[in-house]
Amino acid sequence: MLRERQYTVKKLGRSYAASGGMLSLDQKKRGIRFMRLGKRHLLAVGTSIFALSMAAVPAQAADPIKIGLSGPFTGGSASMGVSMRDGVKLAVSEINKAGGVLGRPIALVERDEEAKNEVGVQVAQELINKEQVVATLGFINTGVALASQRFYEEAEIPVINNVATGSLITQQFKAPEYKSNYVFRTAANDLIQSEMIADEAVTRQGFKKIAILADSTNYGQLGRTDLEHALAKSDVKPVAEEKFNIGDTDMTSQLLRAKQAGADAVLTYAIGPELAQIANGMAKLGWKVPMIGSWTLAMSTFIDNAGVNGDGAMMPQTFIQLPNTPKRKAFIDAYQAAYKTDRIPSPVSAAQGYDSVYLLAAAINQAKSTDGPKIRAALENLQTKVEGVVTVYDHPYTATDHEAISANIPVFGLVKDGRVVPAHPEDVAGDQAMRIKPKA
Amino acid sequence: MLQILAQLIVSGISVGMIYAVIAFGYQLTFATSKTLNFGQGEALMLGSLVGWTVVAYTGYWLMLPVVLAFGLVQGAVVERLGVRQAIKTKSESGWIMATIALGIIFRNLAENIWGRDALKFPSPLPETPIALGGVRVLPMEIAIVVGAIAMMAAVELFNRRSIYGKAVVATANDRDAAGLMGINTGRVITFSYALSSLAAAFAGVLIAPVTSTGAAMGGALGLKAFAVAIIGGLSSGVGVVVGGVILGITENLTGYYISTGYKDVPGLVLLLLVLSFRPAGLFGRATIKKV
Repeated sequence: MLRERQYTVKKLGRSYAASGGMLSLDQKKRGIRFMRLGKRHLLAVGTSIFALSMAAVPAQAADPIKIGLSGPFTGGSASMGVSMRDGVKLAVSEINKAGGVLGRPIALVERDEEAKNEVGVQVAQELINKEQVVATLGFINTGVALASQRFYEEAEIPVINNVATGSLITQQFKAPEYKSNYVFRTAANDLIQSEMIADEAVTRQGFKKIAILADSTNYGQLGRTDLEHALAKSDVKPVAEEKFNIGDTDMTSQLLRAKQAGADAVLTYAIGPELAQIANGMAKLGWKVPMIGSWTLAMSTFIDNAGVNGDGAMMPQTFIQLPNTPKRKAFIDAYQAAYKTDRIPSPVSAAQGYDSVYLLAAAINQAKSTDGPKIRAALENLQTKVEGVVTVYDHPYTATDHEAISANIPVFGLVKDGRVVPAHPEDVAGDQAMRIKPKA
Repeated sequence: MLQILAQLIVSGISVGMIYAVIAFGYQLTFATSKTLNFGQGEALMLGSLVGWTVVAYTGYWLMLPVVLAFGLVQGAVVERLGVRQAIKTKSESGWIMATIALGIIFRNLAENIWGRDALKFPSPLPETPIALGGVRVLPMEIAIVVGAIAMMAAVELFNRRSIYGKAVVATANDRDAAGLMGINTGRVITFSYALSSLAAAFAGVLIAPVTSTGAAMGGALGLKAFAVAIIGGLSSGVGVVVGGVILGITENLTGYYISTGYKDVPGLVLLLLVLSFRPAGLFGRATIKKV
């Protein structure tokens, strides 16, 4: 019994060191489980973990480069946060295996901001002041990103948003008010997404009577405004605009209003569980019109909870779990092997998270320094082509453009039998498979 | 037009009954100990998630007794850890913090065991809606209404007919007198907590096929049910049913006829009105606190 326990401790300690000083959730769980074994041994266990993690330090050759990782790993956005984190960790372990950056390994400092603005702010301050990270990756929620970024801007530490989509994110610190902008992104922003959604509904599918259903969060309401503007460009005014709260389980009144207004398509800006209630509510009311919405319609919480009712829902995707390039195949295989899952919970988050690490690593290599302003300058003028999962990043950023994803990159995904597949196969066929941002 | 109204009312009733069953749990503990379990929403969530795990092995109907037993134990634990000490020391607010704290612990526990995503709960009944004269309703929604009423009736019957139930009623009427009559009122209070968590756990597996389940499901529902308990009155069984149905229907009507952005407002206005004009609730007995 005791020997077994010691073995677990050693194993835990070893993987602790291997993961660069970061415990994964399931390692933590394992830790908790064996701690439950006996109070008497708690002290011994604690001491040995401490000793082992101390022992691990000299084992690492050079000082690791600390990179912050801020995302919601608990709460309603967790499936995106966890996929993003797993994508990031995958890239970091590949880079470390290949010798690291500037001959130094990358160490992730992972913090859960629970999708809460105030926690995000605390995390930002901790990562900057206490952990002294050289850059931070992450942010799923626009509100958290907007609240936290100010600290990075002040500290001149670059931050790459790899999932949050709010249009404002990269515009917060624009010249001339700010000397330089430290905020970058590897996600398709809401302007791009809302234009795509409006174009798909009105131009490609010919719907003229549109209902917008959006949740009451910043995400939903800012997205609704973007959708209105995008629709106005083709002279379409929504016949109904309905709102609901996070946690609402009954969408009868919202759907009946849209139905009575004669809507022939429903456009959505919300997250998984409530989107599922919309799809289920439509089935219950016997009203079936196409559902087209932001990329969150690809969340597993939508797909699983809506079941067959969610089939046919369409959303813009920067990445669909489809091995149509060698890089994508390698990524999908590695993800499946590392996390023992067939379906990536949020493929877009995982891919964008993965790519953000390689962009940052390329910038640090080019800057030959971990100095914030130098990394920013390198990102804005990246000389090496970075072959990512989403696209090939060829000069992805300039001093004024901090969006790596351009409007031509995302394609429409479609929910089919519990998976997201390309909505228009011709969009991803042949040389369309890899879509690259046009040169400025 | 009439058809829409009917649809809104029917949907409102089914949502309202969900609120009512949870509110019923508040009422059970309040009757015996004048304390509430503010972790009622979490009791519902735990019951629902335990059900989700068990249902994969046993199917829906065999899962029910397991969940009910789990609810009993969970409620007793809450009482032992959070409430007993507060009652003993006649603390006015200790139990409030303690039950809230336990609720948070349970939620974190659930997040670690079951993850944080909403999970699909298999439905024991067909998921195709039934059309009743133009109004469409899911079989499971009917089951929620029937199940909720059946459970409340069963608890009431137990209280009125069985000797243990009579002990509960006696404690509710006058704890000191019941104690003098030889009733172990401490145990009765533990039992009422167990019963209230049983009600919550049952509600959890009853509504999960419609609402889906997950560690976060308790928060919003627990709060709405609290409003229902206040509207209906903390001392009346009929009160919570009527209160729940009123809240469910008002939400839907406001959402449709005024704006979906204001769906939650009338319920809260109603709550304020009740608190100003009938503080004991629509069906509650006003009690004078003798000092």
